[in-house]
Amino acid sequence: MYRQGDVLIVALAEHAVPEHARAAMGEKRDGRGRLVLALGEVTGHAHAIAGPGRLIREAGAFGPMLLHLPEGGRVVHEEHAAIGLPKGWYRVVRQREYVPGSVRVVAD
Amino acid sequence: MTRNLSATTETSIETTPRDWRAVAAATGSGDRTAAEAGVRLAYTRAGLAEPERIVWAASPLAAVELLTSGSIAPGAPVREAVRNGPWAAERARLHTALGTNGYSAHWRATGADLWDLTNSVVERIRAGVIDAAAGDRKRERQIRVLLLDAVLGQHEAAWLSAYDTAPGHPLDGVAAVAAQAGWWWPYAKVAVITERPLELHRDEAGRLDRGDGPALAYADGFVLHAWRGMPVTAEFLDSLRSLTPQRIREEENAELRRVMLEYYGYDRYLTESDARPLHRDETGILWRIALDGDEDVVMVEVVNSTPEPDGAYRTYWLRVPPTTRTAREGVAWTFGLGADIYEPLQQT
Repeated sequence: MYRQGDVLIVALAEHAVPEHARAAMGEKRDGRGRLVLALGEVTGHAHAIAGPGRLIREAGAFGPMLLHLPEGGRVVHEEHAAIGLPKGWYRVVRQREYVPGSVRVVAD
Repeated sequence: MTRNLSATTETSIETTPRDWRAVAAATGSGDRTAAEAGVRLAYTRAGLAEPERIVWAASPLAAVELLTSGSIAPGAPVREAVRNGPWAAERARLHTALGTNGYSAHWRATGADLWDLTNSVVERIRAGVIDAAAGDRKRERQIRVLLLDAVLGQHEAAWLSAYDTAPGHPLDGVAAVAAQAGWWWPYAKVAVITERPLELHRDEAGRLDRGDGPALAYADGFVLHAWRGMPVTAEFLDSLRSLTPQRIREEENAELRRVMLEYYGYDRYLTESDARPLHRDETGILWRIALDGDEDVVMVEVVNSTPEPDGAYRTYWLRVPPTTRTAREGVAWTFGLGADIYEPLQQT
């Protein structure tokens, strides 16, 4: 389990990976060829991974998302130190905040 | 949860490489000549004669006032032919090519996120125009109908991003207007087109947000105020400058009180209220503010592990459910986890 600012990356056991995720094509990469785990609307700052891998969006606008890194990878962000991730599957969770009556997503 | 994503859902459809997020958020005057050319092209694509006149207005409110003033005779609305028809045809074509699952995967990969963001701004503008222009019920009905005739210019960006809008394609005219202008009203004889706003202020999540002025402002003075997406009045924002902890405690509207607390600063409020932390551990500090007649505000104070350029560590505050008992439980909740599971190996 790794935290970079408002994003938590949780290792997922091989047997817990949904079958449809293994076959899915995954999200498009951004203009710089990166997988974007979360994007700040105004600054454009992103939690992102360059190397090989796939990001698969599950239900809901902000995920959870699944991340597959067959060779491991490195998550970078403009305001946070990079984090190295071993190869494998991960669940990507965006931080949220309690609002009476609802819940809202945090963006840093 | 039964969505079936398969290898056949590859999104190989060409979309025009244009930064549609930037289009949706653009401010200031665009290229009027290019916008007008886009309007004429959209009429031509729809099989209509070009409009006799193209009239500019400074804001959606100004356009609505012009169209209800009786000073122009624009003819029948042609939004259906100019926008909806070509869009429906393109959508059907793409849907046939990709299938239902493929189409929804394509939409998620292109316009879906931007749609949510832009739509909330569009709804605010609609409500703001109705507020500012409506008088009696009859006029309000007239304005609501008129708003349905509008093509949303730059605010069409989300769905346009899912299609090929390069020159020669059915949506090229609508896309060309979107790249240069705000909302526009196509009628048989006249098209009324509006300038983009002069100012747009949003928070990192993309919601309208500004503490010291309008979050959205047009050249004619049509403005909208908002705090982290929540509509507020100019008077309320002004009142924030002279806030006191007592004034915050006395506010009866829970949403406005939340805005007051955010503006004033949780840390400052806690200091001035002599608050004591509920709990402290290596994940952060848990605080509580008791409020009369409302549930307690319970917050975790979290520290970023990467220092800022000046060497300081940025602290941020997240509200958590009032039942939270420990800082770890609070931070774990913000990631949807239980306190017993939350254990980052590394954090930055």
